[in-house]
This record gives sequence, C-alpha cells and structure tokens, in this order.
Amino acid sequence: MANDILLEIKDLHAGIGDKEILKGVNLTIRKGEIHAVMGPNGAGKSTLSAVLTGKPMYEVTSGSITFMGKDLLAMSPEERSWAGIFMSFQYPVEIPGVTITNFMKTAINSKREALGLEPMKAGDFLKLLKEKMAFVKMRPEFAKREVNVGFSGGEKKRNEIFQMAMLEPQFAILDETDSGLDVDALKIVADGVNALHTDETSAIIITHYQKLLEYVAPDVVHVLKAGRIVTTGGSELIDAIEKNGFDQFQ
Amino acid sequence: MSSEVYILRPGVVNLPPEHIEVHDGETLNITVIVMPGVSADIPIRVDVCGTGASVTLNGLYLTDGNDKVSIVTDIRHTVGGSTSSQLFNGVAAGESRFNFFGKILIAQDAQKIEAYQTNRNILLSEKALIDTKPQLEIYADDVKCSHGATVGQLNADEQFYMRSRGIPEVEAKVLQIISFLSPVLAGIEDEKLRASLSEEVEQAVRKMSE
Repeated sequence: MANDILLEIKDLHAGIGDKEILKGVNLTIRKGEIHAVMGPNGAGKSTLSAVLTGKPMYEVTSGSITFMGKDLLAMSPEERSWAGIFMSFQYPVEIPGVTITNFMKTAINSKREALGLEPMKAGDFLKLLKEKMAFVKMRPEFAKREVNVGFSGGEKKRNEIFQMAMLEPQFAILDETDSGLDVDALKIVADGVNALHTDETSAIIITHYQKLLEYVAPDVVHVLKAGRIVTTGGSELIDAIEKNGFDQFQ
Repeated sequence: MSSEVYILRPGVVNLPPEHIEVHDGETLNITVIVMPGVSADIPIRVDVCGTGASVTLNGLYLTDGNDKVSIVTDIRHTVGGSTSSQLFNGVAAGESRFNFFGKILIAQDAQKIEAYQTNRNILLSEKALIDTKPQLEIYADDVKCSHGATVGQLNADEQFYMRSRGIPEVEAKVLQIISFLSPVLAGIEDEKLRASLSEEVEQAVRKMSE
C-alpha cells in the first residue's frame, strides 16, 4: 500500500562539486522495515547518509527523495530532524563547552517550538534524560559532560543511541554505527536500536561489515557499489558477502 | 581583594584604569566586557610589584557594524614570586575591527613567576578584521610563561551535528559562541552580575548571529 511508504528515493544522482558519487539510487522503505545498505569503501555509503540528512557541500543533481509524502530535499537539516529523521553519525562530533544536558534541552525544545508546543518543563526533561541514559547504560555524570569531548569510541556511539532515544525518530539512519565498537558496546547499541524499533518506525543500517547485522536483523539488504544499488535481497546476502566479499556483485 | 567588571556599552563606556599597581600579597581580578556598538581603545598596564601578588585580567568583546576596538595589555612583573593570567575571547562580525596587543614583561631576576596569556577570536563575517599580537619579554630564567592566540571561524561540523538534532542554524551558532565566551564570564565573581551579563551577552550574540 502506497501510504505505508515512509521513504522513497528515486533515481538519485548526487556528489560533491563536479564529482558524481551516487549514480541513480532507487530505494523504497516502508513503515516498520529495517534495511541494510552494504558496500565496499567508496561505494557511496557516506554520501547517501549525507544527502538524507542534508549535509552542506553535498549536491543533488537529479532525482528525488520523498519522506512521509514530503519533498525531503527541500528541507533544512533541522527541519528533517523535526520531521522525524535521525542519523547516528559515523564520527560523532565533539562540541567543547556544550554539555549533553544543554545540548539535548535545546534540541528537544527547538523541535517543540517548531511544532508550536511550549518548552518542556525542567523536571520532566531531567526525568526523561535520566531514563534514556539508563536505557543505553550511560553513567549519570555524563549529563554534565561536554558533548563527546574525551569520550571513547564506544561512549560516542552510545551517546548517539541515547540521543536517538531522546528524540524518538520515525526514521533512523545508522551510519557505520558498528565501526570501532567492541562486542559489549555493540550489544548495548544493538539492544537500543531493537528496543526503539516499532511497527511505525524504520531504520537504514549503512555498513561495511555484517557485525551489527548479527544483532539487528534487517528485513531487506541492499548492496551499494559504485554509486548504484546492484542487488537487493534478504539476510542471505549478508552471508554471501561474508563468504565471498563484494566482488561477486556487479 | 578586588574584583571589578568594566562594561562598555553604546553611550556608556566604563573604561578600566590605565595603570594599576599590585603590591605584596594583593589580588586583582578585572574583567572587561565590550558590547557591540562601541569603538574604543582600551589600554591596561598592570605593574605586579609585590611578592605573592596575583593578577587575573580577562575580557570578552563583541564587535559588529563598523566598531573598532583595540585592547592593549601590558603586564610587568617587576619582582619575583607573583602570578598573572590573561584570557581574552571575542567575536567580530560585520565590518568591525579588533586588535589585541598583549605584552608580558618579566624583569631581570624576577624569578618564580607564572604568567599566562590567551587570546581567542572568532570571525563571523568575511569583512571583519582581527589583529592579534602576543608578546613575551623575559629577563629571568626560573619562570613559567605561555601565550597563545587563535583566529578562526565557527566549526562547520559542530553546526551540522547540532542542526541534525533539530537545533536551528542561528541557535547552533549562539550555543557555539556562548560556550566559547563562557570561560571569561565564569571569571566574574559576583553571581548576580555574572547571570545578568550572561543574559545580556547571549542576546547580543543572538542578534549578531542572525
């Protein structure tokens, strides 16, 4: 059914400057689905996540992206967040001087303002913050830490999932979330992703490795190579990639 | 002993004294705040001429439009066993111009001195100009001194990260600038004054970021 479609990418061409990186990507994600996009280095995985979130410098030359019936490409990064899109960054950014509490308070109240709601009451906010930090097993003292400053790789990724839990997105993009994580951190992240997943929300897992996919089962798997999706299938593709790599797909 | 805040607002320019002497065991804590809409030359010379004396000289500036602000500090440690610390952070927008000339002098044989100076600047527009010149003159060998000066722009990766979390572009800039300025505001001892100044600075920063 057409109204089950959450995100639709049609013949997307995009790149940086004169360099075309995505060369005609088509992808349809329905409500409740988890998709994996796998591909070798240089396939265009990072460009895909950058274009979905509206990162400056990346240019879409043709094609379209529709999110919940709206033209996603016409929206600013913050408008996309308000509409329910969230990306867990491959390299979470350090923001010296800004505490996690202040960061999340500003984020949540900006969205509320955009939706015409009053700011969240301080007590309610702190309760929510505590609850979501416990959910990803972040120690309470992290609330006062500067965003990602001095965090280990695992702590940074956990902080991403914490923010995701706070913002409750309709559509999550997990960009190489498994890179640099040990098994324990990977499990915490995967548990978070699974717990936040409902029949109404969708996710796209962009990854080089099958690691995270051992814990979060995708409904659909795509192979991205040289800027195009060359194969789409089920979880059997993950095994095929693990055995024989990406060279088998053309 | 003494903690003073000098605020320069359009029309009400409260300049710090041009020459201060700090004697044995005395503490001096001065903060200078320059709000947008002010053009001024601000020379401050401090003679640290007593053992156990401690000087903190901080400042923040916000320049916009055609403002021209120049801060010249001259800290002279004439006897040993004293400390000084300077922190000046500021933001220049519009076609404004900001100069910082900071000098630390440590006299001959004035040993066991710690003297630090930092000047950090952010350019918000292509037409704003910043000139920063730190200078150390040391004639003693048992001292700890450092100076550092930076001029840069707001970090674009930080901005995109914040916007991807739903923080609007202007709000992201305000957060970045406030966090950049907050170490100076934190040095103001009077809590009430600190709170009201933080509010005033935030409003000015928001206006400059739009």
